[in-house]
Amino acid sequence: MGTFHQDKSELHGITVVVDTNGPKVYVGRCDDMDDEKVILLDVDVHEDGQNGRSKQQYVERAAKFGVWKKHDRVILPRAEVSSVKRLGEMHSQLGAVATATAVAEPPKKADPKPVPAPVAAKPADGEVVALTANAQAEVKRLLALEKPGAGLRLGVKGGGCSGLSYKLEFDQKKEGDLVIAYEGFSVFLDRKSTIYLRGVTLDHQKGLQGKGFVFHNPNATNTCGCGESFSV
Amino acid sequence: MPYPEELVAPMRKELTTAGVKELKTAADVDAFMADKSGTAMIIVNSVCGCAAGGARPGVKMALQNASKPDRIATVFAGQDVDAVKQARGYFADVPPSSPSIAIFKDGELVHFVPRHAIEGRAPQSIAQELTKVFDSVCAAAK
Repeated sequence: MGTFHQDKSELHGITVVVDTNGPKVYVGRCDDMDDEKVILLDVDVHEDGQNGRSKQQYVERAAKFGVWKKHDRVILPRAEVSSVKRLGEMHSQLGAVATATAVAEPPKKADPKPVPAPVAAKPADGEVVALTANAQAEVKRLLALEKPGAGLRLGVKGGGCSGLSYKLEFDQKKEGDLVIAYEGFSVFLDRKSTIYLRGVTLDHQKGLQGKGFVFHNPNATNTCGCGESFSV
Repeated sequence: MPYPEELVAPMRKELTTAGVKELKTAADVDAFMADKSGTAMIIVNSVCGCAAGGARPGVKMALQNASKPDRIATVFAGQDVDAVKQARGYFADVPPSSPSIAIFKDGELVHFVPRHAIEGRAPQSIAQELTKVFDSVCAAAK
């Protein structure tokens, strides 16, 4: 189980090296993994021989200094993955002594085939948060099933790998709430949470590679591997 | 957008009460790094629970070691943005991560502990790595 998220894999939130059966090796924070896929966040990818470095040489450098991320999110089919290891373990084995001349290279340009991030609507001027069409449809579906007459409460609470966690629940309006009306339901935000949620878009991703409700926060300077917690 | 100070204050205090100097502006960082003699350490503090939660006590334990850097300071990621940016300028081209720990000798970066080497580790293990570096870098510098 992940450090703070009981429903995630053991490596959730940990920076890992994912080697493949092909020429590519990936380094990123593990979001989740199961029998079908490995989901990585803040990912760098290296192809064997790229910049004159083998996969092993690349991983050794990554273990010493870290990586410059090229992709926000990459989903790898498990069948293509030959191993998943903690990058930190390799750091320990290497001793990780840095010198001013032997440092990681800053990124040159993005990989030409990144896994696209989901397209999300943005809040209009003056709006605090926005829900994509997918998120609206899913909220309406769930409300009808589970709590007719209630609204969607979005908020922020302390905790999680990156400091603050998103809160998402079905609830009734409370005094002092900011109310955003959507067709068929309302979104409630307490005043304190609006500080942290301003500009946030809530999306919903379906299918094998989807991850349910997803927050896109332009103010977050760091997000947890699962995307459920963040810092600003 | 920084966190409420009341949430961050205990995390700052955990290091400052151990004698670590807090650098809150870019000028503070430059002044700290202006002295190139001997050894120095900068800790990039963070609110991250699973990494910084282990890093801070790990640093405190390591500071009990006989050998340690001559000057020790901290910047807080996400809070003191200018100070962190300035500090990272001294970490050469090491990819940014927080928490992280940089150790300098005569103004040169000689050891860097990135986030991935901290996450999931016990404070004792982080302290062990740091004291090993202190014994190697700081004792030799005396």
